[in-house]
Amino acid sequence: MSFNINSFTDALKSAFLYAPVTLKLTVITFVVAIILGTVIATVRHYRVPVLSQILAVFVTVYMGLPMMVALLLYNLLFMTFYNDVAGALHISVPISDVNPIYIGFFALILGTSCSLSEAVRGAFRGIDKTQYEAGYSIGLTRFQTLIRVIFPQMVPILLPGLQNSLIGLLKASNLVSAIAVTEIMTGALLPSLLYYSYLESYLAAALVYWIIGALIEVLAHFAEKNSGRYLSRAIA
Amino acid sequence: MIELTGVKKSFGKQEVLKDVSIKVNDGEVVVILGPSGSGKTTFLRCINFLEKAEKGRMVFGDKILDLGHVKKKDILYIRRHSAFVFQNYGLFAHKTALQNVMEGLTQVQKKSRKEAQQIAEDALSWVGLLDKKDFYPAQLSGGQQQRVGIARAVALKPDVILFDEPTSALDPELVGETLEVIKKVAKMGITMVVVTHEMSFAEDVADRVIFMDGGVVVEEGKPSEIFYKPKEERTRQFLSRIIPVDQYVI
Repeated sequence: MSFNINSFTDALKSAFLYAPVTLKLTVITFVVAIILGTVIATVRHYRVPVLSQILAVFVTVYMGLPMMVALLLYNLLFMTFYNDVAGALHISVPISDVNPIYIGFFALILGTSCSLSEAVRGAFRGIDKTQYEAGYSIGLTRFQTLIRVIFPQMVPILLPGLQNSLIGLLKASNLVSAIAVTEIMTGALLPSLLYYSYLESYLAAALVYWIIGALIEVLAHFAEKNSGRYLSRAIA
Repeated sequence: MIELTGVKKSFGKQEVLKDVSIKVNDGEVVVILGPSGSGKTTFLRCINFLEKAEKGRMVFGDKILDLGHVKKKDILYIRRHSAFVFQNYGLFAHKTALQNVMEGLTQVQKKSRKEAQQIAEDALSWVGLLDKKDFYPAQLSGGQQQRVGIARAVALKPDVILFDEPTSALDPELVGETLEVIKKVAKMGITMVVVTHEMSFAEDVADRVIFMDGGVVVEEGKPSEIFYKPKEERTRQFLSRIIPVDQYVI
């Protein structure tokens, strides 16, 4: 097995060219999943009748579904039913013009929301009951207490888990290549289709993931340092 | 005036409040005494709905409420006209002392930031902690945290302040400074209901003492009556087990 530096730089360029796809998948999914996961966790934490039971069952069941299976399943359903649904809704866009990345978003957002909701539930449990009562006692509503007292205190508890999820998501996002979305991994492989330079392509892809992963860790470290200020001073 | 009648509350099968009635006049300081498990804290928490009573009636100013069927907006009304001082301080952990006092002023009473800050600084200086206004609760001693808690309650200008064993979590050296501040509140003529184990403090500030045990009010009266001439055997028994009043110094 030989290593060709030119193939490697070609693969690297190609991988970087498709890095925005991976970043888009990762960041948008992450932001939407934090919101959805927080909503799911909040509904379950406050034991909203019916809805919290439904979500509990859904999260439990869905967490057992591998991301790859979910992706392929949604892709299949999409391929099978798109024409019927589009026809019924009078959408004239042909199926070939629909970017499969949306199916990727759907699968990634659903899976990540479920796992993040569990992390948020854990953070809820880390908040002392007195913090709620203090909010109520000065006349804040339940919603005000949640937004102004509970959520801000959950941030430092959540951060390590969020960092973990974000890096996991970055790596899981390359599964969308299975439904014909070109991202870092498949981008890096493009030159090897001509030159069979797989080793160079894989290493180029790995390097790009490492760079992004390292950036996330630096950001997370910075965020952690700042958000927990009121806690860390307690030790001093 | 606050009047509660026939308050009942159970935790599961355990009946914690069997039929409690009290009346607190405007400007009055009422101290509730009793052994652990007598229901005194639960009763205090029922007044501002941190605990929900199953039965009972409450008169709060010109509001009359059925505690069994109370509306959200009535709960909010009571909470916005009362304040609570917690046993374990209950300060917002992510906010500084000043922000803790300001929170209710800006978010509930909708005062401007400037006005709220002025009131909060006055309140903090009143409890002797203006120099600690930018400290987070975790950077303050227990006694200081509790004084911030009291400043937060006083700054809201409530109709009544409810104190739930405000010195129980403090080490003995810090009890004194906190009790001094509570005495100051009492002297301002604010209506207060205080659950405490501090006997000499109770004798000092209370207009009326209520002795509770087993989920009922056993006896109530002036401090001089309760401490020196208790009518009920149970009260006498309770008081005899703690340090005699005349030897008790803060």
